[in-house]
Amino acid sequence: MTSDRTGGRQIRVAIVDDDAGVRVGLRRLCEVFDLGVSVYASGHEFLASLDHGRPHADCLLIDAHMPTMTGVELQHDLLSRGILIPTIVFTGDDPEAISVHHTGLSVVACLRKPIESDVLIAAIERAVGAVVFDPDGP
Amino acid sequence: MQFLGARHPPETVQGSRHLAASLLLFVPLVFAGNEIGSILRYPDVGSAVLFVPYAVLTAALVVSRPRDWVWYILIDSIAHFVAHWPQWPMSWVLLATVANVARALAAAVVVARLCDGIPRFVGIRTFGCFVVGAVIVAPSIGASIGAANVVLHGASDGYWRPWLAWFTSNALTAFTMLPACIAMFSYTAGPSRARVARRRLVEGVLMMAALGATAFILLGGFERLNPAVTLFAALPILFWSALRFGAAGASGALTVITFAAIWSVDRGETSAAGPSDDQILALQFFVFFTAAPVLCLAAIAAAREAVVQLHRALLASLHDHVALLDARGVMFEANASWRRFADSSAAPLHRARTGDDYLAACRSSAERGDVMGTALFDGVTKVLRGAQPHVEIEYDDPEPGRHETYAIRIESLERPDGGAVVTRANVTARRQAQLEVERHRRELSHLARVNVLGQLSGALAHDLNQPLTAILSNAQAAHKWLLRDPPNTEYAAEILQDIIDDDRRAAAMIHRLRSLLKRGDLRVERIDVADLMSEVLDLSRSELQARNIEPTTSINPAAPALLGDKVQLQQVLLNLILNACDAMNDMEEPRRRLELSVASDDLRTVRLSVRDWGVGLPTDLIARLFEPFVTTKTDGLGLGLSISRTIIAAHGGRLWAENNLGGGATIHCVLPVAEQPEVAAAEPTSSLPDAVRH
Repeated sequence: MTSDRTGGRQIRVAIVDDDAGVRVGLRRLCEVFDLGVSVYASGHEFLASLDHGRPHADCLLIDAHMPTMTGVELQHDLLSRGILIPTIVFTGDDPEAISVHHTGLSVVACLRKPIESDVLIAAIERAVGAVVFDPDGP
Repeated sequence: MQFLGARHPPETVQGSRHLAASLLLFVPLVFAGNEIGSILRYPDVGSAVLFVPYAVLTAALVVSRPRDWVWYILIDSIAHFVAHWPQWPMSWVLLATVANVARALAAAVVVARLCDGIPRFVGIRTFGCFVVGAVIVAPSIGASIGAANVVLHGASDGYWRPWLAWFTSNALTAFTMLPACIAMFSYTAGPSRARVARRRLVEGVLMMAALGATAFILLGGFERLNPAVTLFAALPILFWSALRFGAAGASGALTVITFAAIWSVDRGETSAAGPSDDQILALQFFVFFTAAPVLCLAAIAAAREAVVQLHRALLASLHDHVALLDARGVMFEANASWRRFADSSAAPLHRARTGDDYLAACRSSAERGDVMGTALFDGVTKVLRGAQPHVEIEYDDPEPGRHETYAIRIESLERPDGGAVVTRANVTARRQAQLEVERHRRELSHLARVNVLGQLSGALAHDLNQPLTAILSNAQAAHKWLLRDPPNTEYAAEILQDIIDDDRRAAAMIHRLRSLLKRGDLRVERIDVADLMSEVLDLSRSELQARNIEPTTSINPAAPALLGDKVQLQQVLLNLILNACDAMNDMEEPRRRLELSVASDDLRTVRLSVRDWGVGLPTDLIARLFEPFVTTKTDGLGLGLSISRTIIAAHGGRLWAENNLGGGATIHCVLPVAEQPEVAAAEPTSSLPDAVRH
């Protein structure tokens, strides 16, 4: 279990999505892979959770379309606070189109919903630079 | 001058053929007439009591072309000479001929001008024209010359006594004989094409027999009775002829009666001291004042007959089936189309003919449970009672093999006796055209709906992806939990429950979309306005989010339910919402607001409004906004609002736009509520329920 960023401790992800069903589903999926998960219903909620300007996560999973604060807006906000956190954006639209808006930001991957577990895990691994342990084997 | 020629038949072979036929009639008549003219004369002035050649010559001139007139005038002059010369001085005969010709020419010209051609003696007007020309003007001219002639040759001391004698005899001639003569000469120009019914022929023969008998009584009875008294015996036959055979028949009868009277005076005279002038004058005046009302009556009867014939011809020419009902509902007249339809129908209701009780036929059909009969009975009763001025019923022919649609209109007969007109028209073509239009409207509306959903597709894909994403993640998580040893079935069951819920969420969304995309018939149902609004908001929420537009709603919870097609109303509201969004594209964040409101201004309507804080509408466009191809957008077709208005109009509502005082625009849509009994009762016409359509 090698890791650059996490230093061997549990990988923590933060999920920001306005849809409660999506939040619960993604949380459960991440928990199966022994990831530490925190969920937020909006960008504002996530920003409010920052501990002295530091997020409680190694990786951010955000929905591109949210009513009060879109994914891009949240990232700009974080950037303005000097916070750089590897981010995975997911969207129902064409991910190519979305990624254009995120160029230059700390976006690691743009995923199309619904998200396959292996694709998600691969993206998270890329984001944190560590291998995610699969308790159920290869 | 060619245009004036239209008054006369064109110059063809028929022209010369007519001249020959006409002369064949003219020659014997005019020679005999001049001889008859000499039978009874005033003893002192020597003029005839009844001057037949005047009527014969005038009739020939009136009927023929002016270029043929010379023949008639020539023959008439010869006949006059043959009758009077050499008994009378040459100068007298010459001047008398001039008087005769001048009189006939004046009569022909004045009558033809006033009556616009050959006088037909239909109505008081032509009769009046005839009297002015042939009874007053022409005899006056003839009398002026004739009286001068008498005075010149020393046959009378005064001028006015011979003038009056000449005038009276000719006016009397015109009154009695002229219409019959005109009829005879018209016949030579070409017999009437109308076939004479046998009954009418019998009646004519009977009348002639009665006329002969009357003349016989007149001739025989005069010796014992005053002529004025005997002449009353002729009145019944004169009225009969006038009422049944027109001016020509009346004139013929008058001629026979007058000749009989003159003959009897003449005969009575030979045995006694000779007829006095006064006696002759009395006879003339009696005939004159009998002829005037009799011919007048004939003209009125002919006019009435013409109206009846026109009415029959008009009814017969109508393609629609027409029947007239009296106040009791009994059919007293039906046109040929109605009768043909009745013959070809099997249903007793449609077999009703003249003389049948139509109302009773409708009633018995209604009692057998026939919907059509019930509707007809109801409609006829209402119109006959005056409860409604007219009723329209449209129905499809129930008889097998006939795929026709008919419209029956029952209309009140505006006359003192009351009654109704029932008109049945085959409206299959109109109905099919209506259906075609309706089909096109539906397809267009469907296209517009698909277009609206196309505009929403990005947001809808996102909406649909949310539950799918949740389902996939949950399912993959549950899968893992179940593969563990031991499997965590309890947790897996909890996850599965969430999957079920999310699946239902997705299914509901797809169902909503499907109903919007479906190409379906109009489905009318009760619609709760609040539900309608919230469903529309659900559909558009993602789109509004994507555009950063904050929707607010103000819904009166007491707003009554609507009656209509939910999908179509959703389509209209979605269209209005998307338009509002487009109007706010260039607006700053705080102004990007949208307000949906439901208000109930009165008990009969509900008002749905979509308000935006956008750029507003150009004032010159507000009135035309709902016309097709009118748009404020650069990429819009301009069909959405036009189709929306069609949909709202089909729901009995109204759609209009206005600019807000604080900027932006509001589109209002007023729809009638589902329950409004008093409005239904005020409908002027009743129509058959849909159940009647087969």
